[in-house]
Amino acid sequence: MTAILQAHALGMQYGRRPALTDCTLNIPPGHVVGLVGPNGAGKSTLLKLACGLLNPTSGSISVLGNTPGSGPGQLARVGFVAQDAPVYTNLSIADHLRLGARLNPRWDRGFAERRIAQLDLDPKQKAGKLSGGQRAQLALTVAAGKRPELLILDEPVAGLDPLARREFLKNLTKSAAENGTSVILSSHLISDLERVCDYLIVLVSSRVRLAGKVDQLIAAHHRIVCTLRDPDALPTGLEVISAEHTDRHSTFVVRTDTPLPAEDWAAQPLSMEDLVLTYIGTADPGLRPATQGSQTALDSEAGR
Amino acid sequence: MIWLTWRQFRTQTFAILALLTAAAIYALITGTQLRHSYTADLATCQAQNTCFGLLNGLQEDYNGPLQLAEMLVIAAPGLIGIFWGAPLIAGELERGTHYLSWNQSVTRTRWLAVKLTGVALASIVTAGLLSLLLTWWASPLDTISGNRFGTQAFNARGIAPLGYAAFAFALGVTLGLLIRRTLPAMAVTLAVFIAVQVLMTVAVRPNLLPATTTAVPINQATMSQAMRFDRSVAVTGPVTIDLPAPPGSWIQSETPALTSAGRPLQTGEILSCWNQAFGQAGASGKAGSPGFGPLGACLAPQNLHVDVTYQPANSYWPLQWSETALYVVLAALLAAVCFQRVRRLRS
Repeated sequence: MTAILQAHALGMQYGRRPALTDCTLNIPPGHVVGLVGPNGAGKSTLLKLACGLLNPTSGSISVLGNTPGSGPGQLARVGFVAQDAPVYTNLSIADHLRLGARLNPRWDRGFAERRIAQLDLDPKQKAGKLSGGQRAQLALTVAAGKRPELLILDEPVAGLDPLARREFLKNLTKSAAENGTSVILSSHLISDLERVCDYLIVLVSSRVRLAGKVDQLIAAHHRIVCTLRDPDALPTGLEVISAEHTDRHSTFVVRTDTPLPAEDWAAQPLSMEDLVLTYIGTADPGLRPATQGSQTALDSEAGR
Repeated sequence: MIWLTWRQFRTQTFAILALLTAAAIYALITGTQLRHSYTADLATCQAQNTCFGLLNGLQEDYNGPLQLAEMLVIAAPGLIGIFWGAPLIAGELERGTHYLSWNQSVTRTRWLAVKLTGVALASIVTAGLLSLLLTWWASPLDTISGNRFGTQAFNARGIAPLGYAAFAFALGVTLGLLIRRTLPAMAVTLAVFIAVQVLMTVAVRPNLLPATTTAVPINQATMSQAMRFDRSVAVTGPVTIDLPAPPGSWIQSETPALTSAGRPLQTGEILSCWNQAFGQAGASGKAGSPGFGPLGACLAPQNLHVDVTYQPANSYWPLQWSETALYVVLAALLAAVCFQRVRRLRS
């Protein structure tokens, strides 16, 4: 099966401001991918590049093996819900379903109508009168009703209250699983993604900091607490992601692809939230980009 | 895509249909009355040879509605550009709904092509029907006035309004796409459209077709139909005469009175005839002055003439077609810009 998304040295600039820099990704199919990062990190840009709303200024991207947005066929394979789930305020819910039916060759009318009924929405209601959550549900229904192979959702739960968030994500994963759809969704809140994603991309200040399957990432990262020491004193094979020192103790987050050796430290697994926060934290200027293993961060840590 | 375009444009279509129906009913009723009075007046006045005054009276009676209708037909393309053109894409960009429509299984090019064609057709048909109604309604009045080239008459009759509507619509769409906000796009559309209309009327239309120049002799026959006769107070100034041009033509320029050698006539050279016709009275005369005929008769032996540059009456339709074609070409260029932009738009 072809990868959901392959990007090579992908870059996007708005004028002179880089929105995405040197992004290289290869996401295998069949995943629910969480794209996480602070506001303005370039999440929306990456998603819009993936559905062909933007053309990259450098590098290349292919989605499901093709150039994004390259024709009706490709458009039919990728569903997209933009941030704030825009819908036509003066059209009714039924009109939106008709829109989907008229504009998509593989439209699944039964699914769409069932979903609207399950959500307890009145098809005659104007979309402009829906609440934020209902609007997001409608936009998702239109995007999923065209039976895409990949569903891209930009901050789908940003406008929802906690209960609606949970409902929405539960619905989403359920319908994705039923239809075998891959999903990429972005959020600046890790807690939203924790429950639903099995693949994670961390994007910070226009660069990819971390990408991989969640279980593998969790297995490869450890927090170790030991007596005060220099990161260089750690055994080789451990990539230091972050280091904190108190008077007597050092706390490191390390990455290793082999089992962590037992030494004079206390080791803990990281939660997904901790993992993401660690990578977002190391993106400060002066600290090294963790995935690329440069020495600058180690040097500056050692120099303290 | 056609369905979506129709669904989005449905309300406007019904509104404009209602408006057109109302206009048609009004035009049919008053137009029939107008024709009735016209034929009645014509029958009366031809018997009594009083047509000038009687028909002028009829024209005055209907002048108010005529002005109003002309204003409406002239304003229609501008309104179309503002309310149908500018929001067409700017509205989607502003509300983000293009994210929804551009991610259905339809390319942006097709999306734009259908929207553009659908609403452009509606615009052209609307302007065309309004123009058709007015052209029919006002035809007796136009026959009376014989002035089909007047700015209001030309801009609000025939096929020119179709070209204006196509252009105004395309202009609105393009500016909406470039500015990406509805309200500013509407304002700029109005300003640019008015500027283009004025420029076209004042500077382009007179030069669209080659004009005819004729030397109209000054004699009793021509002078008795002259509209105006001006001489300078001093003996060395020029003499200007508004001589009648061929009926229904559009006069673009008239020289002062010229001698047979083509030299501008000096007031001193006509003073004896002037004094003979008017005594010592003022320096100009108005149409219908009883002195104009004798003055012409007195001047005839001097072989004087005025060079009149004009568009003959039969240039009317070539001029309408050329101007419409020009506007349609402009509209097509704007549409090409839209396609180019939509394909590359960074959203």
